Amino acid sequence: MPLTETTLVDAIRQGLRRLLRERPEVLLFGEDIGAFGGAFKATLGLQEEFGADRVFDTPICESAIFGAAIGMATQGLRPIVELQFVDFGMTAVHQLLNNAGTMHYRTGVAVPMTVRAPCGGGISGGPFHSEELEAFFCHMPGLKVVYPAFPADARALLVSAALDPNPVIFLENKYLYRHVKEWLPDDWEPIPLGEAQVCRPGNDAVVLTYGAMVHEALRAAEQVEQDGAGTVMVLDLRTLKPLDTDAVLAAVAATNRALIVHEGWRTGGFGAELAALVAERAFHLLDAPVVRLTAPDMPVPFAPELEKAYRPGADSIRAALLDLLEY
Amino acid sequence: MTRKPAKARTTPAPRRRPGDDPQHGRALLRCRLLTRLTEDRLVRLYHQGRISGGVYTSRGQEAIGAATAAAGGPDDLYAPLIRDMTVHIGRGEPVLDIFRHYLGRVTGPMKGRDGNVHYGCLARGVYPMISHLGAMLPVVTGAVLARRRQGRPTVGFAYLGDGATSTGDFHEAVNFAAVFDAPVIFVIENNQFAYSTPTARQFRCANLADRAAGYGIEGLAADGNEALDLFQLTRGLVERLRARPRPVLLVCDTMRMRGHGEHDDFAYVPRDLLARYAARDPLDLARARLSAAGALTAAAAARLEQECLAEVDAACQQALAEPPPDPATLTEGVYAAD
Repeated sequence: MPLTETTLVDAIRQGLRRLLRERPEVLLFGEDIGAFGGAFKATLGLQEEFGADRVFDTPICESAIFGAAIGMATQGLRPIVELQFVDFGMTAVHQLLNNAGTMHYRTGVAVPMTVRAPCGGGISGGPFHSEELEAFFCHMPGLKVVYPAFPADARALLVSAALDPNPVIFLENKYLYRHVKEWLPDDWEPIPLGEAQVCRPGNDAVVLTYGAMVHEALRAAEQVEQDGAGTVMVLDLRTLKPLDTDAVLAAVAATNRALIVHEGWRTGGFGAELAALVAERAFHLLDAPVVRLTAPDMPVPFAPELEKAYRPGADSIRAALLDLLEY
Repeated sequence: MTRKPAKARTTPAPRRRPGDDPQHGRALLRCRLLTRLTEDRLVRLYHQGRISGGVYTSRGQEAIGAATAAAGGPDDLYAPLIRDMTVHIGRGEPVLDIFRHYLGRVTGPMKGRDGNVHYGCLARGVYPMISHLGAMLPVVTGAVLARRRQGRPTVGFAYLGDGATSTGDFHEAVNFAAVFDAPVIFVIENNQFAYSTPTARQFRCANLADRAAGYGIEGLAADGNEALDLFQLTRGLVERLRARPRPVLLVCDTMRMRGHGEHDDFAYVPRDLLARYAARDPLDLARARLSAAGALTAAAAARLEQECLAEVDAACQQALAEPPPDPATLTEGVYAAD
C-alpha cells in the first residue's frame, strides 16, 4: 500500500473528512473553520467538500458554541467543535463542566460531542495562545480527554472520540501540528480510547508523558542510552481520561523508576494524578522517588529564550533521567 | 422604616374578549391551579424537613409557563427555568413525578441524581435546567437547529429571568440564534427581582424588549399575568416562526410573590409592589375572566380545585412511600456506555 507523508494536522483533517463522509450526523463548527479552514488549517477544504451546511463558521462565542453543540448532541447529531485555541475555551468552560459533563448522569441522555482544542507552547504564542489545560478537563466529571502525539494516533483517536457517546476533549498540540510527520497508509482503523502505548522500550526507567513531550522524551531517552546510563521506556498515555492505569502500572513494574513529564503547570497538574496513582498502587515497586518535570507555576512567557526555559525539553528530561537513574 | 400603604388597585372588570376560548381558558387555569397546589404541598414538605435542599416556587408567575406551554405543538422544545412548573405540567410532566423528584426518589425523572427545579424529560422535549443562569439558552438553540436540520418544524422556548439578561450566555445565545435564524422564543420573565437584586441594579434600559433591536430581531412586551392573552400571542408567534424561522425576545411582566426560595423571607421586596401584583394574581384573573365569560361557574371552579387537590394528595402520598436511590448506584451513569 502506498504511504503518504502526513503531519499531525493533515491526520486530523483526514479523521474529520472520514467522519464527515461516513457519518451524516457529524457536523463541524467554530470560529473561522469554514472557507478559511481554521487558524491552523485543520479544516481546510472541508467546507468546500461537504458544504456550508455541515462545516460552518460561528460568531466568537465559545459558550454558545459549546451550548449549541450540547443541544445538537442531545438531538441525534454528533457535533465536533473547534476552539481556535484551548485558552479561549476557559471563557465557556462552565458549559462543559455543568451541562455536558452532568447531562448523562442527571438525565440518562448522552451527549456525543467532541471539542477539538489546539494547545501547548513552543511557538512563542505568549500567555494566551500557549496554555496547556488538560488538568482542568480531566478534573471535570463526565468528560473524556484525549491527547495524541503522532499523526497515526491522531486520526484514529479522533474517529473514536467523535463516535464516543460522551463529551470528549480532543487536545491537539499546535507545536506538533507541522513538526511531527509519519508515512501513513490511506487505510486505517480507529484506536479505542483509554489505551496507552509504549513508544520506546526500556528497562531502567519509564517516562510517563503525552503530547509534545512524548517527542522530547524520545530524544532524551536516546541520549541517555548513548550516555550509557541505561535504557528508558517512553509511555505515551494518548488518552488521559479514562487513563490506562494498567499500562502505567505495568511500565513502573518493568522499570522501577518513573519520570513524569508534561508541559502544563505543576500544581494540580496531570502529573500529580500520575504520581499519586504510582504512589498508591506501585509504591512497593519503586527503586526511587517518582519525579515530575513540568512547567513552573507561572504564565507562559513570550520571548523564545524565556519559553525555552519554561517548557521541559529533551535536555531537561535527559538531566532528570540521569538523576533518576543515579538515585 | 415606614412603608407607604399599599396602593389599592382594582382588577379591571373582566370582559369576554374576542378569541377567548373557554376550553383553552379552563385548561390554562387547571395547569396553574395544579401547579400552585403542588407547590403549596412542596413548601409544606420542605418546612416539615421531608424535602432536602430547597424549594423555589413560581407563585405569581404561573400564567407565563401555562400559556407558552400550551402554545407549542408536539414537536417543540422547551427549556424552562426556576419558576416554570407550569411549563413542566403543561408539557405533560405528571404531578407524581414532580413529587418523586423533589423527594429525591429513585422513581423520579432524575432518579434522585438532581433535585428541586432541575428536572425535565427530553423525550417530551423539556430540557432540565442547570443552575447557571443563561446556560440553557444556547443548548435549546442548538437543539432547535438540530431538529430543523432533520426536517422537523420545531420551535423552541427558552426561559430566563430579568437577572439572567445580564449574563454573557444570554448575549451569546440570542446573537447566535439571530445569526443562524434559529426559531427560538426567548421568554424573559421580568419578575422584578433576581434573588434580592431589583431590576434597577440589573440593567439600565427602559424596556428589556428594546434589546431585541441590538440583535436585529423582534422584541415583544406582554403582560405575564394574563394567561389567555399570552397564549394567543405566543400561539400566533409560534406559527409565524414555523413559517419563517428566527428568534424573538418576549418580555413578560410579572412579579415573584415569594422569596427566591422558601428559605428567603424577601423582606427586601417593597410591600406595595407585592400588593399591586397580588391584586393581579394570575389565578384570580383567570377565574374572573372565565366567570365573566360564563365559562366557569362557582361550582365548577370548586370542583376543579377539588380534583386538582385530590391529584396532589394522591401523588404526594405515593411518592412519600417510594424508595430513595440505593447508594450502591452512586456512580452509575456518569458516562454513557458505547
